[in-house]
Amino acid sequence: MKKRYDIIIIGAGHNGLTAAAYLAKASKSVLVLEKRDVLGGAAATEEIWPGFRVNTGAEDAGMFQDSIVKELFLKMHGLEFRQSDAVIFAPQVDAPALTLYRDIAKSQQSIAQFSQRDAARYPDFVAQVNGFTAVLRDMLLQTPPDLGTPHLGELVSWGGVGLKLRRMGGAAMMEFMRVLPMPLREYLDDWFESDALKGALAVDGLTGTMQGPWSAGTTLQYFYQHINGFLAQRAVAGGMGALSEALASAARQNGAEIRTGAGVARIQIDSGQAIAVLLENGDQIPANIILCSASPHHTFFDFVGPQQLEPRFMRAARNIVYRGSTAKLILALDELPRFVGQTDGGQLHGRIRHAPSLLYIEKAYDAAKHGRFSPHLVLDMRLPTLADPTLAPPGKHLLSITIRYAPYCLADSNWENEREGLVTAVLDTLAHLITPSPHHPISQSPNLLLTPADYEHQYSLPKGSIFHGQMSLDQLLVMRPVAGWGQYRTPIENLYLCGAGAHPGGGVTGAPGYNAAQAVLNARGS
Amino acid sequence: MANKYDVIIIGGGHNGLVAAGYLARAGKRVLVLERRHLVGGASVTEEIFPGFKFSVFSYVVSLFRPEIIRDLKLPQHGLTILPLESTLTPLPDGRFLYRGNDHWEAMRSIAQFSQRDADAYDEYGRNMYFMAKAVKYILGIVPPDPTSFKPGELLGLANLARHFLGLGEEKLYLLAKLMTMSAADFVAQWFESEPLRATLSASGIIGTFMGPRSPGSAYVLLHHYMGEIDGAYRAWGFHKGGTGGLADVLARAAQSFGAEIKVNAAVKEVVVKNGRATGVALENGDEYQADVVISSLDPKLTFLKLVEEKYLPGDLVESIRKFNIYGSSGKVNLALDRLPDLAGNPMQQLGHASRRLMAGAISISPHTDYLERAFDNAKYGEFSARPYIDIILPSMIDPEMAPPGKHVMSCFVQYAPYNLNGGWNDAQRDAFGDAVVNTLAEFFPNIKELILHRQVLTPVDIERTTGLSQGNIFQGELSLSQLLFLRPAAGYARYRTPIKGYWQCGSGAHPGGGIMGAPGRLAALEVLKEM
Repeated sequence: MKKRYDIIIIGAGHNGLTAAAYLAKASKSVLVLEKRDVLGGAAATEEIWPGFRVNTGAEDAGMFQDSIVKELFLKMHGLEFRQSDAVIFAPQVDAPALTLYRDIAKSQQSIAQFSQRDAARYPDFVAQVNGFTAVLRDMLLQTPPDLGTPHLGELVSWGGVGLKLRRMGGAAMMEFMRVLPMPLREYLDDWFESDALKGALAVDGLTGTMQGPWSAGTTLQYFYQHINGFLAQRAVAGGMGALSEALASAARQNGAEIRTGAGVARIQIDSGQAIAVLLENGDQIPANIILCSASPHHTFFDFVGPQQLEPRFMRAARNIVYRGSTAKLILALDELPRFVGQTDGGQLHGRIRHAPSLLYIEKAYDAAKHGRFSPHLVLDMRLPTLADPTLAPPGKHLLSITIRYAPYCLADSNWENEREGLVTAVLDTLAHLITPSPHHPISQSPNLLLTPADYEHQYSLPKGSIFHGQMSLDQLLVMRPVAGWGQYRTPIENLYLCGAGAHPGGGVTGAPGYNAAQAVLNARGS
Repeated sequence: MANKYDVIIIGGGHNGLVAAGYLARAGKRVLVLERRHLVGGASVTEEIFPGFKFSVFSYVVSLFRPEIIRDLKLPQHGLTILPLESTLTPLPDGRFLYRGNDHWEAMRSIAQFSQRDADAYDEYGRNMYFMAKAVKYILGIVPPDPTSFKPGELLGLANLARHFLGLGEEKLYLLAKLMTMSAADFVAQWFESEPLRATLSASGIIGTFMGPRSPGSAYVLLHHYMGEIDGAYRAWGFHKGGTGGLADVLARAAQSFGAEIKVNAAVKEVVVKNGRATGVALENGDEYQADVVISSLDPKLTFLKLVEEKYLPGDLVESIRKFNIYGSSGKVNLALDRLPDLAGNPMQQLGHASRRLMAGAISISPHTDYLERAFDNAKYGEFSARPYIDIILPSMIDPEMAPPGKHVMSCFVQYAPYNLNGGWNDAQRDAFGDAVVNTLAEFFPNIKELILHRQVLTPVDIERTTGLSQGNIFQGELSLSQLLFLRPAAGYARYRTPIKGYWQCGSGAHPGGGIMGAPGRLAALEVLKEM
């Protein structure tokens, strides 16, 4: 007979691995099953060309929760963060470049090229974002309350968040409540007048969402992306995959088993209880509890199956909005590119952004809304080889470009037909931003394009939604993934969700994995 | 002294008149000052062309609070609301969706597009009815202050929380969705066919600068469901004689309690002495004194125009500057020689007179994308090339609105952005009017031949005539950032202002726009507590 595990975790993305590490640490026997041969899911580093190791999904670990790093001793397992002085570099076509640094005064100097008023306001803006995100951070590592039958413990811990809110003072609390549901455009317009600054800042609030800066609720998403503080971004030595490897190492050290190349076909259910996992190769592995870090869509419609769920829940699960709109183009370069308006190499160490104004972004979104990608794309770039040169052969570089907005649903076309067009559109946009190199034209560099369709098929992200469901106001907290099921449990007994489709959502935070592990441990009273 | 009153109300719109009625009923000496030659503000009826009467701006009544009707004894003064019984959505291909009083007929009409939608229709209606009833609670309360630790405020918050938690978990989530989703996404949870989806979500964009796919528009949709006529929800109504008829009823009611109403009396400013409002000064130099001055104008005018900034704390001035009032709609009023034909000749399809189809609202909303594209235009400073139009033919309901055999057609049009690229001028106004008529002609093929007169109102025209900033009918966007204790500004959501004796009672205050009278009533009751 097969070994029976206390816990099986489906998916070795960073959340699945976080849950595995915590549950193994609590002396559970844990098995993690990963379909792909690489660990990390959408936080992985893969060798695409010989000697080039590429972050195929997420690029940044700025949102990862430090408490998890400490509790799992991830640094002992090889995790090393790298921070740069420059955080956003925004080359402009007809103006000097905007550079934002970790250092506020230095940023102000650059902003002053565009607006003295904005430069003067910038420190207060940073302080407000930091103040508001500090409140939100408290909600990250907590299971949302059960509104139907709230427990005393929940009320106390969420009451604590409420109290913290009140302690900000009446005016700040009112401002917090006023701005959270706002469109990001209104929020940034309240603060700043410079298009270059507003455009460069706004990109963070629109990550992974099929919404533009005019959409209400994008301000909350903006704060969420700064959950560890304003522009607290950091790269991982060895690439994002090294974070997943560190989590895997911590899990293994505590006794967890991790199997790659082990695709799950179904979750076996008996009388409403999850009892085992059936692999694609026919193996059946029993477990007391199953955690699924795959999206709610895959969990409920592929692994569980509609016939196991009551119609009302099914309908709610079917109504989860996914709507992927992110694509990625990775270029292997023979030399470091030189951007227009660049004055020193240090500027390129953070994100390099092309989003010259809010209006520009909104127009790119509008095109996507109607099922096309705009020729005027929003680009959020990284040179990961500057943070860690070992990601490419000596002297070579990687340019990793996150493309907004590339809609999953194309009007009257499909992604096989549009691949080439998108690459061309990106390279055309880049041509205005990069000083041409006579020896190594960027257009002839090897490239890899990951479309929303690729993200769906290769990385199991439904409709290419990198957050396992849009992070809009109606899909957060007690409403994530389905209203009333915000506590990691599912209608199937012993089946839990632990991925980005659960509270608090997407981004490399580790929070859903951590929270789900706690929910499992609390439920069992262990 | 003749010029001394207990209360002066600036603006004779419906909220000002409701407040006047309540205060006069309580025995106060009340004076209402109206800038124009007639009362009503945005709810006026005017004979623009000889024999043709138009509800020039606001054109339907539905949100009006039943307690006001009762308290002010409005039926005695001639209140006559005639129900608008149907909604017709014509399609360019000649098909149409018709939802009227006959339930089975409506179901059949929906089923021609989707049987699934017809099956879901009742459940959707029940949910919206329930939600409207639940949210109606907030229309009757003064918003509590969430930052206060005072027992009274905490009790108010607790009551609010208890009310909503008492809805039960499922309804609570539905409410949370309504507060946050886009109208299109919300409606798509139930329905799959486009004419129905688009027409339902169109209620979420009326009067706002949002498209059906903008998050937050689902709340506006609910706002439009809160209407109540004789206890029946979601019924739109038309007042006999147009919306001006309602204003006249309110004016008569207020006068019957002793209120005085002066028209052609434009207020220049509120007189403030020692931090206290003592009266008002008119443009013509007249002055009136009062213990209490109430402004029914929008927040920008109330705080930034009628009083000097120096009397207000800086944070309030800043908040009011940030308060979003976007002009987004225009109005086209047509005088028609006779009833236009509907494309596709539905008379034959239905086997009875097409007249009946046109007795209710007619919604030009064939597809959600159609509406969204109309919004895209506005976002970039253009009027919609093919706009959303909400049409009614008041002369079908009240024949006195037009000469015998002839008709008036009221077209509420979105989007016409106040801040048009290059600004509004006569040529732009004509082009806008043409866009509306050309769109109408796709659905009413012979309409161009029937137009005797046409009045085109841009947001700038609406602002100029009614005074409403940007011509916005809600006196400010109904967005989450501007509701409840945030309307119009944090700390000033309870009809009071930082100036003693100076109050606000317009739609810019809680609970917001639409012809409901709630802000006027709640403000009056608050004022009375302190008099």
